[in-house]
Amino acid sequence: MILENFFFALLATLGYCIVFNVPKKYLLLSSFGGAIGWITYVSFNSYLDSPVTAVFIASSIVGLWGEILSVKIKDLVTIFIIPGIIPLVPGSGMYYTALAIADQDFEQAAATGSETLFIAITIASGIILVSSLSRLIRGRKIMSIKH
Amino acid sequence: MDNKKAPKKAIVIALYAGEIMLKNGGETYRVEETMCYILRSLGVKHAESFVTPTGIFLSSDSPQDQNPYSIVKRIRNRKINLTAVSEVNSFSREMVAGKISMDEAMGRLKAIDRKAGYSRFLKAFAAGLLAASFTMLLGGSIKDFMPAFITSLAVQATVQPLGKNGFSFFLTNIAGGFVAAFMAVALAWLGMGNSIDKTIIGSIMTLVPGVAITNAIRDSISGDLMSGTARAAEALLIAVAIATGVGVGLQILTPIL
Repeated sequence: MILENFFFALLATLGYCIVFNVPKKYLLLSSFGGAIGWITYVSFNSYLDSPVTAVFIASSIVGLWGEILSVKIKDLVTIFIIPGIIPLVPGSGMYYTALAIADQDFEQAAATGSETLFIAITIASGIILVSSLSRLIRGRKIMSIKH
Repeated sequence: MDNKKAPKKAIVIALYAGEIMLKNGGETYRVEETMCYILRSLGVKHAESFVTPTGIFLSSDSPQDQNPYSIVKRIRNRKINLTAVSEVNSFSREMVAGKISMDEAMGRLKAIDRKAGYSRFLKAFAAGLLAASFTMLLGGSIKDFMPAFITSLAVQATVQPLGKNGFSFFLTNIAGGFVAAFMAVALAWLGMGNSIDKTIIGSIMTLVPGVAITNAIRDSISGDLMSGTARAAEALLIAVAIATGVGVGLQILTPIL
């Protein structure tokens, strides 16, 4: 089960990496981040039964993966984070919201829609948490340019 | 080199580097940082930049100049090419380290800008793979693999030419969502696949605004509230467009089934 999840998450992220032109030398590392993030999400979601919390933990893991790699190989953290979070992006939430609106079930649409929005915000919060901490540890401020 | 012309040339180089980064999906604060690093490495001490997702403003006011320079660059089309962003980043590192001369710089940047990335065929295949894998991840059965793959190819075949021919991203994404719903239903009608839902969700994953969402929050947190808001609006509009396309598609097709 976990292995199957890992495999398809890896394939999905790899596909995304190619569509968005991740440099060839980082394809595998970048896809791996997506797979780790997805496994984390699935595990915590089945344990806590709270998608939002699970997404938060998973996106923090993806952020951590990106930060570690970007320090190791001196390239942009974005290259690892953008594909890495893709499995977490709530495509299904968007779909079920649209479906509910099409069925004129507006209560359901509001419920799914707001959960989808929260998940999107949570993904970014996890990433931000890690990148702010790493900046703190590495002693670099976000805007360090003085003219 | 003619010293009087130097600041202008430096500004043009920095601006071009920033433009490539921004139009390929770089965060605005990173574009500002990169341009300032490049300018400083070229000896321009007094410069200020203001970058939003839709345009770059850059000006310098060197004491050795009679007049201040300022350039505005409008960014109309944004796509995502992380290789270009990464290459401009290493370009700016080399520039700061003094490994590239001012005369070589434009050539290097033009080469980065022109480089196309993976072939269209590979990208289409990757999009299909991505969609099919998502369908599996979200609980689809192995029977849904091929329908998701084909649906995603159809979505790409719709979205790519529309985007290239100047259709707004809103209309393009509506079309993408519609084709996803249409193809998934059509393939299920032909007896391929078990789950229309999972097939559609998988194929719209190639359209979802993941980059816009992440960059929106990153920009906002780093204090670029204008950029953050602009990108959040972009993300929301894309999501609404996809949902509209899928919703309309299903609404039209459901009575037929």
